[in-house]
Amino acid sequence: MRPCLSHIGVILRIALSTAALLASPGAMAQIVGEKADSPPNEGRYLYKPVPDILVHSWPEEAVRLSELWRERPILLTLIFTRCAGVCSPLLRSLKAAIASIGGAGREYTLVVLSFDARDTPSDMAGLAEHLELSKDRAWIFGVASAEDIARLVRATGFWFEWEEASRQYDHPAMVIGIREGRIVRFLIGGTVSPVRVQEVVREMRGEFVPAYPLPRRNVLFRCFQYDPTSGRWRPDWGFLLLLIPGTMTILGTVWIFRRERKHRAWEDRESS
Amino acid sequence: MAERTVVSPVWLGMEQQRWRRLTSTWMMVMLLLFPILLLLGAFMRIVQANLLPTLLPEWFYAVMTLHGLGMVGTWFVGAMAAVSYILTQYVRPSRKVSWTALGATLLGVVLLLATTLVGRFGVGWYFLYPLPFYPAGIWPTWATWAFLFSLAILGVGWTIWAVDLLRAIAQHYSLRAALAWHYIRGETEPEIPPAVLITTVSLISALSGFLAAVIILVLSFLEWAGTGFTNDALLMKNLIFFFGHVLVNITMYLGVVLVYDVLPRYSGRPWKTNRIVAIAWNTVLFLVLFAYFHHLYMDFVQPQWMQVLGQVASYLISVPAAVVTIFSTLLLVYGASMRWTLSSLLMYLGVMGWAIGGVAAVIDSTIAVNLRFHNTLWVPAHFHTYYLMGVVLMLLGFAAHFGLEVSERPENGRLAKLIAALFVIGGYGFLSMFYVGGAHSVPRRYAVYPQEVMQGVDYARIALGFIAVLFLGVLLYLWETGRRCALAFRTSESS
Repeated sequence: MRPCLSHIGVILRIALSTAALLASPGAMAQIVGEKADSPPNEGRYLYKPVPDILVHSWPEEAVRLSELWRERPILLTLIFTRCAGVCSPLLRSLKAAIASIGGAGREYTLVVLSFDARDTPSDMAGLAEHLELSKDRAWIFGVASAEDIARLVRATGFWFEWEEASRQYDHPAMVIGIREGRIVRFLIGGTVSPVRVQEVVREMRGEFVPAYPLPRRNVLFRCFQYDPTSGRWRPDWGFLLLLIPGTMTILGTVWIFRRERKHRAWEDRESS
Repeated sequence: MAERTVVSPVWLGMEQQRWRRLTSTWMMVMLLLFPILLLLGAFMRIVQANLLPTLLPEWFYAVMTLHGLGMVGTWFVGAMAAVSYILTQYVRPSRKVSWTALGATLLGVVLLLATTLVGRFGVGWYFLYPLPFYPAGIWPTWATWAFLFSLAILGVGWTIWAVDLLRAIAQHYSLRAALAWHYIRGETEPEIPPAVLITTVSLISALSGFLAAVIILVLSFLEWAGTGFTNDALLMKNLIFFFGHVLVNITMYLGVVLVYDVLPRYSGRPWKTNRIVAIAWNTVLFLVLFAYFHHLYMDFVQPQWMQVLGQVASYLISVPAAVVTIFSTLLLVYGASMRWTLSSLLMYLGVMGWAIGGVAAVIDSTIAVNLRFHNTLWVPAHFHTYYLMGVVLMLLGFAAHFGLEVSERPENGRLAKLIAALFVIGGYGFLSMFYVGGAHSVPRRYAVYPQEVMQGVDYARIALGFIAVLFLGVLLYLWETGRRCALAFRTSESS
C-alpha cells in the first residue's frame, strides 16, 4: 500500500492537467479520436494492442491495465460522470447484463474509465456508489491522464467532442473486450444485452464465437433462423430453395423420358 | 417392355462427316483456349514469385477469375463435345443444338474476356456473394453486369445442350434402362453401354447444377435491380458451391465416359456395364448432390448435420466412381496387349491422375484436416491434380484419338512418349509445389505473400520451371494433335 501522499500526488496531477486543459482556449472543443457518424468499425481494431495506461481509482492505488489483463480479461467502457445522455443507461444496462451472466471478478474484470479530464477518482467513486457497485471488487471506476486517454481513444476507435451548446461531450457508447492486451470484441450501443456480453466473455476466454454479419437487412430467403438464446435453428424458406434444383431435375428428367417414350410408342404405331 | 439397345450404328457418309466437322471445331476451340489459359495460370505464379513487383494486385485477381472460369468452362464444353461424338454410336443428338452451344460459349467467352481483362473483375470463379456487388473501386459496374450476363448465356446454352443429349438418350432408352437398373437386379439385357449410363448420370447431375446457377442469377439480378431485396449469404454460398462442385465433377465423369469408350480400343478388351458399374454410378447420382457441403466447413452457421453429411458423402462418392473406374482401368490394361499411343497413354495417365487428386481431395474433405488446410495451397493442389493430370489428360487423349481416327495419319511413337513424359514431369512438378505450399500453410489466392509465408515465393519460382516443361509438352502436343484436328476439319468441310 502506498502512503497517503501518493493519493495526494495523483489528485494534484489530475487537477493540474484539468486546469491546463481548461486554461487552453478551445481545448474543450477539440475532437479526441477519429469522429465518425457510424459506430467504430470493429474489424479495423480487432486484435490491435491496447496501450498499457495507468488507471487511478479511489481509494485504491493506481493500477496499470496490463496488471489487470494479466490476471483476467477486461471489459472496458469509457464514460464521463457529468453525462446527461447515454453513460448512465449504458452502465446500468451493463450492470444488469453482468448480473445476469455472472462470472465478474472471477472470469473478467470491468473497468469504467472517465475520458473527461475534469473527473477525479472521487467523482468516479461517487458514480460507483450511485450505481451500488462501490463494494463490488470486480468493478474498477477510475480516471487517467489526458495523454493516456488520448492514446487509448486512438487505439480503440473511441472518440469524444465537447459541444458548447449542451455543455456535454458527444461520444459513442461502447464496451471493449480486451484479452492479453488486445481488442477481441466491441459492444456498440447504449443497451447491453446479456446474450451479446456473454459472447464477448466467451470470446475473451478464447472460445470461438460464431458471428454472422449481414450486409444489409430485408433478407427474403434465409436458409435458417437461429435463436441465439436457445442456440437452436430451424429451416427457413431459403432451405427450400436449396431443394429445388435436385427436385426439379428429377421431375424434368422423368418428364423428358416419358415424353420420348410416348413419342416412340406413337412412332411404332405409325410404322406398324 | 422391350428396351432398345444400339439402334444407331456409326453413321457413315454425310452425317458422319458433319459430326466430325462439328467435333473437330470443338476440339480446336478447346486446344486453342488451353495454352492461353495455361499461360494465364503461369502469369499468376509469376506474380506470386514476386517477378512483377510493380504490377497492381487486382490484375492477379482478374486473371485468376478468367483462368478459373475459363479452364472449368473449356474442359466442360470439350467433354460435352467429345461425349456427344461418342454417343452418336448409340443415339442421335442434335447437331444444331451443339452448334448453338458453341455460339453461346464463344459469346460468353468474349464477355468474360471483356469483364476480366478490360473491367478487371476479380472475384474468382465462384463469384462469392456479396463480393461482386462490392467492387471497392477496382472494377466498374458494367463488369459485374457483363459477368452475370456471360454466366447466363453460358448457362442457357449448356442447359439446352445437356437437355438435348438426355433427349437423345431418352429416344432410345427408358430411364430405368439408361440408368442400368436391370443390371442391379442381375439382368444383363438389354445391354447398356457404359457411355450411356455414365452420361445419363452426369447429365442429370449437371442439370441440377445449372438450375442452381439459374437461382443464383435470378437472386443476384433481383438484388442488383434495386428492389431493396437482400440475399442470404449462406443460401448464395450453398447454391454457388452446389453449381460449381457439380460442374467440375460432371466434367470429370464425362472424361471417364471417354476412357470407358476409347481405352478398350487400345487394349483389345471390351469394357462393359456390369452390376458393380451400375451400382457405382447410380450411387454417384445420389451422392454428388451432397458432397458439395465440404466446401462450407468453415461456415459455422451451417448446421452440423450438413457438415457431417458433407464428409460422409465425400468419402463415399470416391468409392463407386473413382475406385471402380481405377480398378477397372488397371484390369483393362494389366496383361493386355496394349497399343500405347499418345491417346491411350494420356487416358491411362488421366485415370491415375484422377486417383491421386482424389486421394488429396478426400484428405481435404475430412473436417479435422480441412480446419488446417482450408484456403491453403493444398486446395489448388488437389483440384489441379484431378483436373490438369486427370480430366485434361483424358480429353487430350480423346482429341489425339479423334485426330488419329479422322486424319488416318500415323503417329510418331517417340514424340508421343516424349509428350507424355513432359506432361508427367512438368505437371506433377508444378503440382508438388502447391502440395508443399499447402502443407506449410501458404495461403491460396494471395497475389503477394506476406512476410510470415514468404516461402510461397520460392515455391512459385520452382513451379515456374515445371510449368515451362509442361508448356513445352503442350506445344508438342498441339503440333502433333492440333494439326490433325485442323486436317479433320478441312477434310469434313471439303466433303
